[in-house]
Amino acid sequence: MTTTKAPSEQKVIGHRAPRVDGGERVTGRAVYPADLVRPGLVHGAILRSPHAHARILAIDTSKAAALKGVLAVVTAADFPVISPGTIIPFGETGADAWISAVIVLARDKALWRGQPIAAVAALDPHIAAAALDLIVVRWEPLPAVMSIAAAMAPDAPLVHPDIRPKGFDAGAAIPRNVGARTLIERGDVAAALASAAAVGRVAAVIDTGHQGYIEPHACIAEADPQGNVTIWASTQGAFQTEIQTAVLLDLPQSKLKVIPLEIGGGFGGKITVHVEPIAARLAQKCGRPVKIVMSREEMLAGGSGPAAAAEIEVAVSAAADGTLTAIEGRYFYDTGGLPGTPTTLVMQASAAHYQCPNIRLEGMDVVTNKPRTEAYRGPGGIQAAFAFEQAIDELALALPMDPLELRRRNAAVTGSTMPIGTPFPPLGLTTVLDSVAAHACWRDPLVAGALPRGRGLALGYWRGTSMTSAAQVMIAGDGRVMVSMGTVDISGTRTTMAQVAAEEFEISLGDVSVSMGDTKSAGYSDAAAGSRVGRTMAAAVSDACRDALSQLRGRAAEKLQAPPEAITYASGVFRSSRTGNASLTLFDLMRATLSDGAVIGRGVSTKLPFGVEVGAHVCDVEVDPETGQVTILRYTAFQDVGRALNPMAVEGQIEGSVVQGLGWALTEHFDYAADGRLRNASLLDYRMPTALDVPAIECVILEVPVPGVPYGL
Amino acid sequence: MKTILTLDVNGEPREVLADGRDTLLELLRDRLGLTGTKEGCSNGNCGTCTVLLEGEPVCACLVLAAEVHGARVTTIEGIATGNDLHPVQAELIRHGGTQCGFCTPGVVLSAVALLERNPRPTDGDIRHAIAGNLCRCTGYDKIVEAVAAAAQGGAP
Repeated sequence: MTTTKAPSEQKVIGHRAPRVDGGERVTGRAVYPADLVRPGLVHGAILRSPHAHARILAIDTSKAAALKGVLAVVTAADFPVISPGTIIPFGETGADAWISAVIVLARDKALWRGQPIAAVAALDPHIAAAALDLIVVRWEPLPAVMSIAAAMAPDAPLVHPDIRPKGFDAGAAIPRNVGARTLIERGDVAAALASAAAVGRVAAVIDTGHQGYIEPHACIAEADPQGNVTIWASTQGAFQTEIQTAVLLDLPQSKLKVIPLEIGGGFGGKITVHVEPIAARLAQKCGRPVKIVMSREEMLAGGSGPAAAAEIEVAVSAAADGTLTAIEGRYFYDTGGLPGTPTTLVMQASAAHYQCPNIRLEGMDVVTNKPRTEAYRGPGGIQAAFAFEQAIDELALALPMDPLELRRRNAAVTGSTMPIGTPFPPLGLTTVLDSVAAHACWRDPLVAGALPRGRGLALGYWRGTSMTSAAQVMIAGDGRVMVSMGTVDISGTRTTMAQVAAEEFEISLGDVSVSMGDTKSAGYSDAAAGSRVGRTMAAAVSDACRDALSQLRGRAAEKLQAPPEAITYASGVFRSSRTGNASLTLFDLMRATLSDGAVIGRGVSTKLPFGVEVGAHVCDVEVDPETGQVTILRYTAFQDVGRALNPMAVEGQIEGSVVQGLGWALTEHFDYAADGRLRNASLLDYRMPTALDVPAIECVILEVPVPGVPYGL
Repeated sequence: MKTILTLDVNGEPREVLADGRDTLLELLRDRLGLTGTKEGCSNGNCGTCTVLLEGEPVCACLVLAAEVHGARVTTIEGIATGNDLHPVQAELIRHGGTQCGFCTPGVVLSAVALLERNPRPTDGDIRHAIAGNLCRCTGYDKIVEAVAAAAQGGAP
């Protein structure tokens, strides 16, 4: 690993730099796919299933195709059959292209209401909508399962009769519609629970929640006569969009170029493709660029992947002194119409940050006839932490013991054993809890009001991934540093990476520019997901800067007529210790050597040590017992971030996610009817918090560096 | 049916051939190419498409294009003066009040309208004024700070 300057010596990293692309955003000049127009552009629209579970017997598109102004119609018959287990590259584990294929278009059977069945391209959106009405589908409706309990009932209809459940012991009774069972077990939980001084138990039901990005899914696809396809996308991963689309179209990946435009929020919901392969196939069929923009109703009612509903039962026991003796958890996740919730990580998210000798965590990935769920800010971990932290509070009441003291007493520390049996890397949980204890939000007494008030404390844990990131650094003819990165900018990445490059070159932010590359100009990078981009792209940018600097050093040595080892570099200037302290600025050097060849620094980071992300939130609320109305009086969030590249950006991430959490906890829910219809498919009825619903949020950023990662990120 | 509409957009007289079904949002984005105004929900719940109609904030998706014949409309493209940002815009950048940026144009219009009628708003006034603008990234704090700073002439 490369060495980096101590935080106290950093001049750009760690500072509250405003976004370098803020000007485009506040003036409306930032371009999202829906804003783009291409010559000859036509409009795509998607026909969606009116049934939660139904066999498709036949689709007649002839009338739609014959409508004047309709240029192309597609159904699943226009796409290759993708089998379950078709693994495509994505991070350390890969992804199953079959999941993407079924999300994009139903083939023989609709698995949820709102799943795409067919699509058209037409001269304008009105004609496209009229054409959808002319598509005739013959259905054989099937009984649907709309809840975890209904799906697991002994006589439940099977959503996927062909799927063999994973993770069950031979001869064990297997519930219906379970994709996989996972088990983490050590010690003797039953005995420890039976002999404990106190037990806290919680059974939590968590509703489906939507990421709620304000920009609906949108893209434009264009095909040329040579078989090349270009997609302008709003995606968390340009390369993930490219790979999924290429496989779904059976197109060589090299013939597909994905150009990421601005993304109006993703939070996990814009990793899987939804519209891109359909737009691309329509574009190939009609030879015109095709734009698809989802409506909000489409997005909420089956067109996108919300976060899973869950039913979680937790029991936590302790000895009289508050030392945890057992953790037992059962986690049922409603993954929607396709299997695949990563329950192992989910279960860890609730229990990993406590030391406990006896653990039994069992997870079930339950398939229902709801939209296939996708990631949302620590996928599945939020639901698990919500249940688990309440069980800890119940235990604190039962003991009784102060809830903070109970958590401090049992907090995982560096080197303590994780549920999966390996020791924790450096962990800032103790720092977080000490900080809570010292803070006014915990020390100030709760002031009585006219209505009942309460104070809550909860911890959160996530294990950020590494995956891979690539960056290249070119030096412009004027000596300025130009960074191109393979990841998209979903959270201020251009700004933070400009800070990294400015720090490495010891120049000002204004002398650096950062751009998002497309999939034919940037190096392969995994999606912006799993709390990884800040850390791993910083490593790539740092390496690319150093590579470029070493190339520049050689040129400077030549120009200054000194051996490379006699050349020092600081703050944009090369100096020779041999030739009378002669110097060359980056500008001078590039002006003198531009035609000697391009300076291109390369940086690739992969398999970096992971940083454990821990945080604690303290919240004071007032509840009206008559109406159930909850008013948030005060909210303080403590988060160990390793190193804050840009504290203002970090605060922005924390504040935004707190409000998302408040919405999920208090006002957001999916109101499904028994027939699978979503009865609240609008932003009036899917009620996300407004500025009036939430208080000012105080952020306490803690920095426990992660070893082996540049800047301890 | 197509109609020719005349209206004032950001101080410029415009004449535009509109479809009878067009909303003001479609008129701005699809007929006039003013794509700074974004579409978030198309039924007036998210505030993303907020523009000023005769100086008052409205959701452009809820106004029919035919209704704005002869009217004065201000969009995000008309808020800055050349390259000089309006204080609300400058402070949103400075305070981190824009993240993904998709709700930002609507937030700017709501805040500009607020400061026009109430140059010294309290934080509560600001939250009330932007309550119709859903933002999923910021948690609103930094937007409120930015608008307050803009009202105070750009103090931090």
